[in-house]
This record gives sequence, C-alpha cells and structure tokens, in this order.
Amino acid sequence: MTTNIRQSAIRWPGLAAFLIIVGLLVAFSWLLLDTIIKWSLERSLGTLNGAEVNIERVEHTWVPLGVRIERIQVTDPLTPTMNRVVIGAVEGTMNVEQLLLGRLHFENVVSTGIRVQQPRESEGEVYQVPNREDIEGWAKQGLAALNLEVPSTDKILERMELKTPAAISAAEEAFATQKERVNEARSQLPSEEKIKAYEAKVKALTESDIKTPQELVAKREEFAALKEEFEKDKKALLSFKETVTDAVEQLQTQFAAVKDAPAQDMARVRELMQLNSAGLTEITALLFGDQARVWSNYMLLAYEQLAPMLARSADAAAIKPQRGEGVWFSFTGANAPPDFLIKLADTEFAFGETILDVQWNNITHQHEQLGQPTTFRARADNTQLWSSFNLNGELALGAEGVDARQQWQLKGVKLDNLALSESAEFAANIVAALLDSEGSVALRDSALDGNATIRLADMQVTANAENRWAQVVASALQSLTRLDIQTSIAGSMTQPTFNLRSDLDRQLGSALKSAALQEVEPELASLRAKLQEQTGGFLGENEEELSELVGLLTTAENREARLQELLEAKIQNKLEDQVKDRLKGLLNGG
Amino acid sequence: MLTLLARFLKALNSETGAWALAFAFVLGMIMGFTPLFRVHNLAILLIALLFRINLSGFLVSWMICSGIAYLLDPWFHSIGSAVLQAESWQPVWQAMYESAWWRVLQYHHSITMGSIIVSLCFAPFLAIISYFLVTQYRLRIQRWFLKLRLVQALRANKFWAIYSDLRG
Repeated sequence: MTTNIRQSAIRWPGLAAFLIIVGLLVAFSWLLLDTIIKWSLERSLGTLNGAEVNIERVEHTWVPLGVRIERIQVTDPLTPTMNRVVIGAVEGTMNVEQLLLGRLHFENVVSTGIRVQQPRESEGEVYQVPNREDIEGWAKQGLAALNLEVPSTDKILERMELKTPAAISAAEEAFATQKERVNEARSQLPSEEKIKAYEAKVKALTESDIKTPQELVAKREEFAALKEEFEKDKKALLSFKETVTDAVEQLQTQFAAVKDAPAQDMARVRELMQLNSAGLTEITALLFGDQARVWSNYMLLAYEQLAPMLARSADAAAIKPQRGEGVWFSFTGANAPPDFLIKLADTEFAFGETILDVQWNNITHQHEQLGQPTTFRARADNTQLWSSFNLNGELALGAEGVDARQQWQLKGVKLDNLALSESAEFAANIVAALLDSEGSVALRDSALDGNATIRLADMQVTANAENRWAQVVASALQSLTRLDIQTSIAGSMTQPTFNLRSDLDRQLGSALKSAALQEVEPELASLRAKLQEQTGGFLGENEEELSELVGLLTTAENREARLQELLEAKIQNKLEDQVKDRLKGLLNGG
Repeated sequence: MLTLLARFLKALNSETGAWALAFAFVLGMIMGFTPLFRVHNLAILLIALLFRINLSGFLVSWMICSGIAYLLDPWFHSIGSAVLQAESWQPVWQAMYESAWWRVLQYHHSITMGSIIVSLCFAPFLAIISYFLVTQYRLRIQRWFLKLRLVQALRANKFWAIYSDLRG
C-alpha cells in the first residue's frame, strides 16, 4: 500500500535559509558600510561636481548616528590637475527619524583643513566639462597686453584709407578728362592766321576805293558775310573760354585737394592712434587684473564652490546619469522638509597658517521648502595675514535660479613681494603694501552684480621696463605710495566680468598716450615725407600744364577782343561817306 | 554552475509541478530585471524560499534576466522617467513620497520603476508561456532530447555524474 504524502506549500527550511541570507547581507553591509559610504559619496559628489572626487577614509558611528570623512579631494573640472577644494576632515551626526523617511538631515557638521586650488597627485577624471569660456579673458590677458596695445602706424594704415593717393588719382583722372575737353574745344577755335586774314579783309574793305553805288552795295554785302563768320567764330571762342574756365576751376580744386591731403591724412592717423591707445587708459585693469581675480576667487568662494553644486543637485536633468545608474526623482511637497539639509556647519578654511572659520546654517538645495536661505558668516581678527576680516552672506536656490548676497570688510592685509608682472618687457612687484577692502556682491537669476573698493597703502613697488612707454608705467608705479581701486563685477557666475578703475588710469593714461605717440613719431615723420613726395611729384608734373591752360584762356580772350573789334568796325558809314564825297565831287565839277 | 544546471534539468525532467517552475521563472525574472538591492527583492527571495517554488528554475531565470537587464537598462530608465514625470500621476507620487514605506521601496528611482513596470507587465505572459513550454517539453521533447547524441555525450561526463548524484 502506498501513501501519498501531500507536501506542504510552505518550505520551512526555506525561511531559515532566508533569515541566514538576510543575516549575511546585514553582516556584509555592516562590515563594509564604510567602504559602501565612501564609494557612494565619491560617485554622487563626483556627479554633482562634474569631475572625480576622492575620499581617503570613511568611519561611521551608530550611536549617535554619524559619519567622519577624511581628506576629500574635489577635482576642478576646468583644470583636472588641480583640486578645486581639499577638505581635511568632515564630521557630522545624522537625524535618524529623517533618515528613516529617506531624508539626509545632518544636525551639525564640522569640517576642518579646507584649502582651495591645491595640486592633485594625479590628474582627476572629468565627467562633464562646464560650459565656461576662457575665464582668463576678463583680465585683458594681463600686462603682456600692454605690448599689444601700442599703436603701430602700419596697423593704422592697414585700417584707414589714405586720402593723398586717392586725391592724386582723382586729380590725374580729372586732368585727363579736362585736357580732352579743352582740346576738343580748341579745335573749333579761329586760328591766329584766320583772325589776321579777317583783319586784312576788313582793312581791304574799309580802305578800298569805291566809285559807284553798286560797288558800295557789293562791298556792304561782302562785309555782312564777313561779320557772320566773325559771329560764328566769336561764339566758338566764348564756348572755348567757358570750357577752359570751368576746366581750370575744377583742376584748381583738385590741386588744392591734393595739396591738403597729406595734412589731412596725418591728422587722421594721429586721431586713430589716440583712439587705438584708449586701452592704455585701462592701466589699473592691466596691472591689477590678475591679482584681483585671485582675490575675487576667495571672495566668491561660497558662490563658486557651493552654488553650482546646489544648482546641479536641484536639477536632475542637468546631470546626465551614467548607464545603469538611473535618476532619483524627488516629490517633496511645498511644505515638507527638504531631502538634504545640514542645519549647522562649521568649516575651517586654511590660508597658509591662517585659519578662517566660516559658519554655515541651513545648507540645502530646497530653500523654498525650508523657507530659509543658506547663511554663512566668517570673522577672523588679528591673524598673520590680516588685522580684521568680516564676511557674511546668504544664498538661496529658487525657481528663478540662485539668489545670493554677501558683504565683507577686510583690513590690514599685509602684501609682501606680490608679483604684478614678470614678463621680460615689464616686471613689477609690490614689495610691501597694506590692503583694505570692502564691498558687496549679489547673485540674482545666476547673474552677478557687485562693487568693491580695494585700498592699497604704504606701497613700495619696484618696476623695470624695456621700452619707453612701459618705463612711464614703471616710474609711475615706483612713485606710488597709495592707490584706491574701484572694482565692479557683473555677468554670469561662471563667466564674471570685472572692471577696475583708479586714479592711475587718468594719470598714467595721458602720459602713456603721449609716450606711445612719441614712440611712433619717426614712423609718422616717414609717412609724412612719403605723402609729401607723392603730392610733390604730381603737382610738379601737372602745375605747368595748368598754367598752360590758364595761358590758353588769355589767348582766347585776346582773340575774342580782336574779333569784337572787327565786329564793331563801321564799314558801312565809311563806304557811304566815300560815295557821298564822290557824288559831291561830280555835282560840283559838273 | 554545472550543479545548478543539472538541478534545473532534473526539475524539468522530474515530477515537479509545471506551475512551480513557471512561477520560479517569473520570480527570477522580476529579481533579475530590477536593481538587486531593493526591498521588494527581499520579499521575492522570501517567497521563493518559503514556498515550494523551484529554486533551480528561479536561480537560472534570475541569472539570465540579470544579463538581459543590462541591455534593457536604458529602456527601463526611459519608461521609469516617463512614468515618474507624468503630470497626472504627480499627486500619487507625492503622496507615496511622504510615506516611509514607499520611500524604502525606492519607487522614485527611474530604473527601479521602469523595470518593475516591465517585469510586472511581462510576468503573466512569462508564467503562461513557461507553463506551456514545460508541459510541452515533458510531453514531446523529453524522450527525443535524451536521445540526442549531444545529451548522450554529456551523460558520459562529469555533468552527468552530478546529475545522477542528484537523482540519487
């Protein structure tokens, strides 16, 4: 007999196996939790940063729930051989209740040994290169630009159209045209011989002996025919005179233009050189631009480091997930607590041996939910680097973008051997100076807007220059003991534009302009000589011909006068008198 | 691996219920398609171990589907993102987000959501197809399969020894 034992649907040993598997998983996670946290942080911070993030060590504690992370290196995506930030250590405790709800809320975070722009041991991997134009551009390429700003006559001549060659060319063309016109009119003129023939004919008519009235009639008709010819020739003469007068007038205008052109050209060249040397008036930006950028990096540290990361973490679309990673969506309600929050953070920035303590409140990317901005304040007095420093500001990320503002007062920064320029053509060095600065900067809709004053006092500057105009700068710098620089910042956070102005611009600007013009004076003299040679050649060749044309006018006037005289001859009266005398003689004799 | 395959073939050729095998395939598929470290996979593992689901079939299905999942990841991501971003579903997702239980399930992850949707949609089809294939195999192919030269050659090597050991 066989018995069918119906097997239970539940496999109890399977439950034991499940518990063992879960137990192993927990044990595995427990043992490797630090490595898992390290790996996860490197991945997520790397994605937010857009470049490799390295963490040396992670330690966790269960009671209270906290984590300590040591030596975080954040690669600069723009220069992967540098770390944009290195953090010595970060320590924080987490809120367990919020963690169970899937939120990362740190009660208190303390980070020490923060240094910016530190070299990396090996080049970091870049995941996403930020869309950023060459940030160096705003500083006008530094002092090397001074060399490029010097006006050059060749460059000026390339850009402008000289009037002298154009005037000569126009005058030559006009000369040819007018000559042709005059020659054509000249062919219609009564020749000298013709005029003489007319005079001979008129003389013959007036002096001939007339005996009969019939002869008188014949002579009168002959004279009338001659007069018609005179009229015709006189018209030709008048037309010729008009043509020549017009030609002479036009050519004289052209000649005057040719004579004036070199002077006008020289004036234009000088004018353009003045305009071209406008860059020389921005000497503050050229001298202090690079250094101001370095200083601004410290002032904008909070924005530059934190804001892009917060912006990226708030915008899931901005971060392209790697394959297999997927995207974590957030559906936090308007009144719900933020997903990520550091309530209080104490960060110690190290500048050499000087430590700057910055306190942060409410670091999150969901400020609208929190209802408060991220605030930061730093204060450090009587340090090795400065006598007092006070910075405070706030930063919030909203639907419109980053909205932030900060202000600072910095006093008594001891500058020591600060190189302004180290090029072969121009070397300048601040041997010693005291720097004070105060200002404010705001960031709205991801656009910067701010002003600051940098005051340099007790300045000792050494400067050497090779060429004359750079020597002007060098000597001016050496004589400086104090300088107030007004700066303004505008543009996007990733591409800020700086503007630096000071009294130095006005003082040095005009000196530099005249030095630069003196520098090119030999070239200007050569250009002047060249232009005068061109005009001299043209005038020498053509002035004689112009005189000839004027002479033609005199000839024409002379012939016209003679023709007029012939026209006005009273031949009829003379002939009639002769006939009358003859008739009287006949009557008296008869 | 050989043991696992042998166990699977044994199950296929034994009197193990066809539905038990089909459910094993389905559970393995869900666990294979979705990201491994998710709470729902613990539940699947518990079901697979606690109930009389064929474990060999479950493991084989899990491994095969894990490989396929790698190829389908971008698709899962797209589907998950589309569903999680769907305007009409936002109140539901927001309500779920407020609950610790749902947050623990990590539904708000695009690949998790996409792969769960795909595997749940495909689960009934896979169950029916698996059941059909297992029964058809046992009815028509099993004898023919065992007569294959390849299978006979296999029966002469280590694999067959393991298989035989398992049969007892």
